[in-house]
Amino acid sequence: METVSFAFVTGLMVAAILIVFILKYANKDGRVKTEYDERQTAVRGKAYRYAFYAEIFAQVVIMWILMTGMELPIEDYALLFIGVILGCMVLCAYCIWHDVYWGMNNDHRRFYIIFIVATILNAFPVVAGALRGTLIENGKIGMPLLNIAVLVMMAAVFIELFIKSMMDKKAEKTED
Amino acid sequence: MKNLKLKSARAAYDLSQEELAVKCGVSRQTISAIEKGDYNPSINLCIAICRALGKTLNDIFWEENEQD
Repeated sequence: METVSFAFVTGLMVAAILIVFILKYANKDGRVKTEYDERQTAVRGKAYRYAFYAEIFAQVVIMWILMTGMELPIEDYALLFIGVILGCMVLCAYCIWHDVYWGMNNDHRRFYIIFIVATILNAFPVVAGALRGTLIENGKIGMPLLNIAVLVMMAAVFIELFIKSMMDKKAEKTED
Repeated sequence: MKNLKLKSARAAYDLSQEELAVKCGVSRQTISAIEKGDYNPSINLCIAICRALGKTLNDIFWEENEQD
């Protein structure tokens, strides 16, 4: 268990460092921080509020599930992660739907590349686990569910982003 | 309420929403939202838009009442 915890923490630290470099690569000006204009900042403020409500709601539901001792084929930590992903999904969905899907300094092409690489990296453990038959251990799904949850979120974000981009291109033609 | 003055001033300069957005340092969607009346810009952004279009705040953002 200690080895698993050490690997998990090390993985998180490496990921945090990687994210800094990835963001530097993804932004046109080489900065880590994405720049937003005043309307985008206001919309993001609202999005964070709704994401917070969604996260609180999810945590209460999960707490209730754990308190009642309901037997689910999901490890407790994976269940908690679903709440986090739900909050992230609300944040992304609200931002995209209110035209805040790109920051001022984002390089769209590079972001799409990062999306694809992240999808492959998340799909890999799920596919490998499915092939080896290790997705569910002792009747419960654990770590692979984290990857599945991220994949679901990315799919939802990608579909919404695609629909919104199409709508935006149409609007751009008529408005100009 | 739609900001038709902004749209016509932009059209007079033959600027697209994207081009005006770049001049003002905002996103195209923000210019679109202002023109559609979905977003009330800050005074700083109003000034930036006016400077980009060579207009005054009155020209673009002042709404005349019927009584005036």
